[in-house]
Amino acid sequence: MSADRLIQLVTEVPFVIILLVVLVEAARHRTRASIDVALFFGALAAIVVVSWVNDLADEPAGGGLTTATAIALMALPYLLLRIVHDFAGVPMVLRRLGEAGLVASAVLLIVAGTQDRPVLVVELLVLYFVGFATYTTVRFITEAQTASGVTRRRMQAAAAASGLLAAVLLSAGLSAAFPGPEALWTGVSRVAGLLSALAYVVAFAPPRVLRRVWQEPELRRFLVRAAELPRLPDTLSVVQTFEQVVRATTGAEHAAIALCDAGRERLVTPTMAIEDHTEQPRDTIADRAFAQQRAVFVEDAPRSDPAHADGAREAGTTSLMVAPITAGERRLGVLTVFSSRPPLFARDDLELVVLLADQAAVVLESRALIDEASRVRAMEEATRLKDDFLSAAAHDLKTPLTTLVGQAQLMERRARRWPGTPTDLEGVQRMVREAGRMRSLINDLLDASRADQGTLVGSLAPVDLAALVCEVAELMETRDHEISVDVAGPVPVRADRERMAQVFQNLLDNAMKYSPGGGEVSVAVRVTGDDASVTVTDRGIGISAADAPYLFDRFWRSAGLDDRRFAGMGLGLYICRRIVDEHDGRIFVRSVQGSGSTFFVELPLERNGGSE
Amino acid sequence: MTPPYILVVDDDVSILRLVAEMLEDEGYETRMAENGRQALASLDGEPPSLVVLDMRMPVVDGWEFTRLMRERGFDIPILVMTAAQDARRWAQEIDAAGYIAKPFDIDQLIDAVRRTLSATEGDEPRSTLSILGRWFPARGSRGYAAG
Repeated sequence: MSADRLIQLVTEVPFVIILLVVLVEAARHRTRASIDVALFFGALAAIVVVSWVNDLADEPAGGGLTTATAIALMALPYLLLRIVHDFAGVPMVLRRLGEAGLVASAVLLIVAGTQDRPVLVVELLVLYFVGFATYTTVRFITEAQTASGVTRRRMQAAAAASGLLAAVLLSAGLSAAFPGPEALWTGVSRVAGLLSALAYVVAFAPPRVLRRVWQEPELRRFLVRAAELPRLPDTLSVVQTFEQVVRATTGAEHAAIALCDAGRERLVTPTMAIEDHTEQPRDTIADRAFAQQRAVFVEDAPRSDPAHADGAREAGTTSLMVAPITAGERRLGVLTVFSSRPPLFARDDLELVVLLADQAAVVLESRALIDEASRVRAMEEATRLKDDFLSAAAHDLKTPLTTLVGQAQLMERRARRWPGTPTDLEGVQRMVREAGRMRSLINDLLDASRADQGTLVGSLAPVDLAALVCEVAELMETRDHEISVDVAGPVPVRADRERMAQVFQNLLDNAMKYSPGGGEVSVAVRVTGDDASVTVTDRGIGISAADAPYLFDRFWRSAGLDDRRFAGMGLGLYICRRIVDEHDGRIFVRSVQGSGSTFFVELPLERNGGSE
Repeated sequence: MTPPYILVVDDDVSILRLVAEMLEDEGYETRMAENGRQALASLDGEPPSLVVLDMRMPVVDGWEFTRLMRERGFDIPILVMTAAQDARRWAQEIDAAGYIAKPFDIDQLIDAVRRTLSATEGDEPRSTLSILGRWFPARGSRGYAAG
């Protein structure tokens, strides 16, 4: 066998093999694309087989057979055009042009006969072939840009194969036009033909190992991105980001994760739920895939699922792939990838979607575990706060109780020992004072509970904030702390007078408590824009930046605060915040640790304040 | 020379005065301090025979006071007196002679003080004084001195 013949065989045999592969594929998944691919390779294989028969017969075949072979050859660019149209769309004009070209070619071939076709005819045929083959090559290249992974490589191979096929025909055309260097044209034709055959193998019958190699970097990139996902703040953002990553990885127009709603045993798409609050469709292809736990590729969704055809058309969706997201026994949901046209390599793409769905299961399970862990942590934290609160409450209540019990017992003992001694007035006063302290602690507890129920503040009435603050400051002033008050005139607001007084009492009390050693405490009332603002400033121990955001939380006490020195229930500022909140105001603090704090209370100014 | 006295330390003035009065009724000499720093100041001159010590206090707390007191070479028994649930643990922490949990009964306080003093001084040298003190309270000015 000559080398030339060997090359020819190596070029030709692959087409027969590819035909077998794509026939099996088309039989398994009868999509438009798979049928067109089978037709394309059917034509190619037919040409090859006819040439073999010719060689074996050792005499030229009949003219009719030769013409049929030539027509089959000329059908190739048209069939390529159909394949491109199936997965990427080809403008109607071009499709009609392709059909017209094919018909014209057939007519030309039949009319011109088999012997010594005129050069013009040959050139016209070559022009048609090369023109459309080049167009499809360009389309394969551009479609490869948007695809990724295996699909992208196969697309690129298809582009190369089609380009090389065009080159084969081009060299035939050139040899007809410039018959001089016959050997050159034959060489070019042989080499291009061989490479084209190999490229078609890679594109339409790629060996498993190639698929693996192509898929790997894509998956690796995907895994790197997916690893970050469970740490996103909530399940919705995990789902959203995962959908983006899937879109980027598959090159599909749209991807959606539907999760199984445990309570209602149905699928809900979280990202769709935010967009519109309408009822999500039921018994869709996704629902069925979920129920059967099976990955599904649907070429034409509106046709396969007429009940939801309108929705699919509206969304511009034709084809979809659904893969169940399942972690072990737990059916979490499904991943659906939508595209406006069915993909060329549906089997590869579906395989990728299944892999991504498996990954989604891992991500969602980790997310669920993180949620569970933080729920447990939050519960532990709540329990700890409650325990801390109980022990602080007990401590605070025991202190006045100590005096009450002790003083009562002391007086009783004295009355027994020294009957007739006059009443110990100072002791009685002490008991009255401590009883009052206890009552106010209990009130704090009740207030906090009322604040939780939202019944803390009563009806609002016009109040002069400046006068109220002066009154409270005067009451609060002690031997150790002077309070300097800075007011400019009446500041009318609407408030529950008693509750608002409680806020300033609390702030002043804290200011004095946390500035040991009689530091200066000042309070100012101002009008700024539409707000009345009260500031309470001390030069005490201050608040750390880390603590500031939690200051107004229930039961919260600074972890850094030496609770041996500053016992307390951590309710005061929580009650303050709730009172101010219910006045549509706001309370906040600015503080420098070690050099004091300023608390701000801002309330909306009463516009007709003078009409009181 | 003043007789040995009991130093009462508490930042809550009501409790401070009350404890002092209870002990004085039993014939003990007392001095009062509102925090650790004041308490340390009263060690100079004549040291007390016992410290009844609150733990949570501003300025210098019970732990700090104990450390500073011992640093200065005083080995004076301490009775921890606190409302915290950790009273027992805190007492062990600072190696105190005992503890009194607030709120306490007057008898508990007196018993604890008496036991601590007798344990440290063996033959209770001030027993006579304390018996006398029962009938002759130290401060007549409060209006309840036995006629």
